Amino acid sequence: MEAQHASRLRLHDLQLAQANRTVLEHVEGRFRDGAITALVGANGAGKSTLIQGIMGMLRPVRGRVECSVPKERRAWLPQQLALDLTFPMSVEELVMTGCWPSHGALTGYCARHYRRGREVMARLGISHLAHRPLGELSGGQRQRALIGRTLMQEAELLLLDEPFANVDVETVDVLMTVLRDMAATGVTIIVVLHDMEQLSRLADEVVVLNSGHAEWTSVESIARGQASVAGTARLSLGIPGVRAC
Amino acid sequence: MLDAMLWWFTAPLEYTFMRRAVVACLALSLTAPVLGVLLTLRGMSLMGEALSHAILPGVAVAFMLAGFSLPAMMLGGVAAGFVTVAVAGGVTQFSGLKEDAAMASLFLVAMAGGVLIVTRSGNALDLGHVLFGTVLGVDNATLLLVALAGSLILAGLAIAFRALVMEALDPLFLSLQGRHAGWTHALFMMLVVLNLVVGFQTLGTLMAAGLMLLPAAAARYWSQRLEGMLAIAVGLSLVTSVMGLLVSYHAELPTGPSIVLLAGLGYGVSIVMGPCRGLLVRYRRPLRQEAMRERG
Repeated sequence: MEAQHASRLRLHDLQLAQANRTVLEHVEGRFRDGAITALVGANGAGKSTLIQGIMGMLRPVRGRVECSVPKERRAWLPQQLALDLTFPMSVEELVMTGCWPSHGALTGYCARHYRRGREVMARLGISHLAHRPLGELSGGQRQRALIGRTLMQEAELLLLDEPFANVDVETVDVLMTVLRDMAATGVTIIVVLHDMEQLSRLADEVVVLNSGHAEWTSVESIARGQASVAGTARLSLGIPGVRAC
Repeated sequence: MLDAMLWWFTAPLEYTFMRRAVVACLALSLTAPVLGVLLTLRGMSLMGEALSHAILPGVAVAFMLAGFSLPAMMLGGVAAGFVTVAVAGGVTQFSGLKEDAAMASLFLVAMAGGVLIVTRSGNALDLGHVLFGTVLGVDNATLLLVALAGSLILAGLAIAFRALVMEALDPLFLSLQGRHAGWTHALFMMLVVLNLVVGFQTLGTLMAAGLMLLPAAAARYWSQRLEGMLAIAVGLSLVTSVMGLLVSYHAELPTGPSIVLLAGLGYGVSIVMGPCRGLLVRYRRPLRQEAMRERG
């Protein structure tokens, strides 16, 4: 099974700490290319810490992150983005910034880039918002524009921290379709989720974070409560029938 | 009437010192507001203001060593500005505190030290020149330095513009790319220092940030697009700096405060009249909505 699935992202005996306090240790595993892996765990279990470690924003105390995806093809959508909503920029301009990492500092955009930008916006249903300032967007529209930027970036590794929080139902459907399409083209997607229904619709694999450790399991195991960590996962997802000890 | 107006604009330009002053102001106006717009978008307006005072010790040491030589004082200012930026960055990294806290502390020390050095080695008039600018005393050598610094700033802005905009919009996106993040910030701060030193000739160390921040703050009330904001800020800066010079000549007022006050007037008008978030627009919008409701 292992040999069948390529993996551009592997964790080797990873130990991560925040403010000299170990948050995760002995994390060993790989994220399958072209699969959507859900990251679940209670608050403070280390989901954001693991994402920071994977993105190279946090230096491991021990072990290493083996990632063969070039930096310009990595994208991260944190839960609370440090995005200035009064910034004088339109939706189209934001989407086009996805070209920057690979495009360099000086080269201008050509018609092909703008065409691709328009295709991306059409796919996300935000063509009519192309010239609207960022400050006038709803939460869902902003999230669509940000996913549009990662599409322009042609991201090969995409990490999302609760992408469906404060987002309307229609946007959730659109984003799920786009994420599934991205995965189908081989993009490795890791997504922090708290909703069991969203998890079962979207994820191919699940990583449960509990007591400083990470365990890889399947969506079915979580749903049926079979895996050793399923109880924790079900608890953190708020599934009825599981009580905290 | 027309002749009188024409005379008002052209008569001062018969003097070489006024022509030099106009060129210095135009050079400053092409770069300062662009940096100012980026500073305001990054929420660093007060950092720019603090940094303008931090160049004083370098200016003062150059004054002590070379007398009232503007080129020497410019070089001293650049050195002091770079040292302050480096120390503030170092303190921030070491302590984990925000950069503006380190900068606020450093600029007070720098300002006090600078004033002490100038008063010990000069007189009150010299201190006045350093604090409030001497644009009418700009000679050819200084003008060349101003032009050179302005060209360097424009070239730096052109090369790093995308990275600077991205750092202002979404620093995380830029830092994930790794290679640009630290350098972008350092380059930006260096360009700001360089521009403040150019501004110090015109407006003095106390108000060097005036043409940087006031037109930039005003431009936010006129445009919701970055290009629009930049164009408006540069335009406003060009008009207010030249008009400030002319007003100061005719009314025999100090040049620096005249320019800054005119830029301030532009800011005040923008707050009231600006089509984006201006007071009049905000007042009119509910009225229009009410009228439409009544009609509907």
